[in-house]
Amino acid sequence: MLKKRLIGVVTIKNGWAVQSFGYHRYLPLGKPECMVENLDRWGTDEILVQSIDRSGAKTGPDYALLGKLARLGLSTPLIYGGGIRTVEDGAKVIQRGADRVIVDALLHDDLSVVKGLSEQLGTQAVIASIPVAIGAHRLEWFDYRSKVAAPIGEALFKMIRHGIVSEVMLTDWQHEGTPFGFNNELIDMFQNEKVPLIAFGGISSVEQMTALLARPNVAAIAIGNFLSYREHAVQRFKEVLASGSLRPPIYATEYPL
Amino acid sequence: MSIITIGIIDYGMGNHASVVHSLRDLGFRVRVTKEISELDVADVLLLPGVGALPVAMRNLHERGLVTYLQEQARLQRPLVGICLGMQLLASASYEHGYTAGLDLIPGEIKPFTDHGVHIGWNTLECTQNDPLYTSSDGQAFYFSHSFYFDGPSEYQVAAARHPSLFAAAIRRGSVTGVQFHPEKSQAAGKALLKNLITELVNA
Repeated sequence: MLKKRLIGVVTIKNGWAVQSFGYHRYLPLGKPECMVENLDRWGTDEILVQSIDRSGAKTGPDYALLGKLARLGLSTPLIYGGGIRTVEDGAKVIQRGADRVIVDALLHDDLSVVKGLSEQLGTQAVIASIPVAIGAHRLEWFDYRSKVAAPIGEALFKMIRHGIVSEVMLTDWQHEGTPFGFNNELIDMFQNEKVPLIAFGGISSVEQMTALLARPNVAAIAIGNFLSYREHAVQRFKEVLASGSLRPPIYATEYPL
Repeated sequence: MSIITIGIIDYGMGNHASVVHSLRDLGFRVRVTKEISELDVADVLLLPGVGALPVAMRNLHERGLVTYLQEQARLQRPLVGICLGMQLLASASYEHGYTAGLDLIPGEIKPFTDHGVHIGWNTLECTQNDPLYTSSDGQAFYFSHSFYFDGPSEYQVAAARHPSLFAAAIRRGSVTGVQFHPEKSQAAGKALLKNLITELVNA
């Protein structure tokens, strides 16, 4: 059966991998390619690289970074987000080494481009990133560029229901980087939508992961900072999760070639 | 034994870098090309791909590769399709309307019901005793697709469950395809690629 996934997230700002806290404070971690190489080596189920300053600066996708990552010869699926403005941008991102794309600003700017991406790349290759918080008993969608939160519009819900995107990454932006921060109510408040969800933002403990993975609509959990604090964090989390829903930890020595 | 050369067919779709790296790591010589003269000298032809099938078929037609690939299959040259590349081997697809495929393996590409997608790691279950795949039986591989192969069971050599069984690998003679991405399936994927290509060339 299909396993649920543990996605390693590398956040890039000004060309450097950073720890991100609540979408407003950043601490440098090092070279992105080193972080990505570690996640690949540790057997993460997918790797998400998000360049968070590309859309705001209107500089387009970070093709130079994608080139560096391609040269690593990753054997783990790579998701890229950041600066994608057009269908051509998305196609180039895939050609330069990503397997899937994730869009956030584009959901605010032009849903027709998202539909075009789905038609060109295939639905499975397109993920919607929706940073949310609970406000006035409903989900509020945060635009990280304007710093404004507003209810999720019907146009976005309609696009999701029509299967234009394969998955939605629901980010608890307020608690991103905070230990034990992720608010599970965000998932529960989104449960009427049939789309598979990726939970992200403040997921640090095995208890949180277990609770999230038990929810039928959660296909994956994404973890950023909390994979960076120790070696082999992915394997260690997988070892103690003791959940049949996740692929077991993989060690390279098990597969002599 | 001489080094096996793999001709990766460049038809403007998908991510070649991972496939190239995986194959080179395994000791194969790799050429990424749309030139028939270069493909002619490869031991194995490989169709990778991430994307939608109608665009892929249009690109193959524009590059004059549809007739070429059909002719190579008739000549029993080894041909491997990965993900979208596997779907291209079928007779037709219903992705964004009806599109004729390469028609190398009888069958149609149909959507999972209710806009379903199948993304993530799933276990390969061999349904036939095919030397290309039996050594990978029970291993987990990375899938990312929303359409599946629906065709005669004689061509389905391995399956996965979502939740019911669907074709994860298909084969007709020297032509074979996998719905998953072995190049993105870590060590299990490399082991499968190595065995699959070696067996195909030595078949």
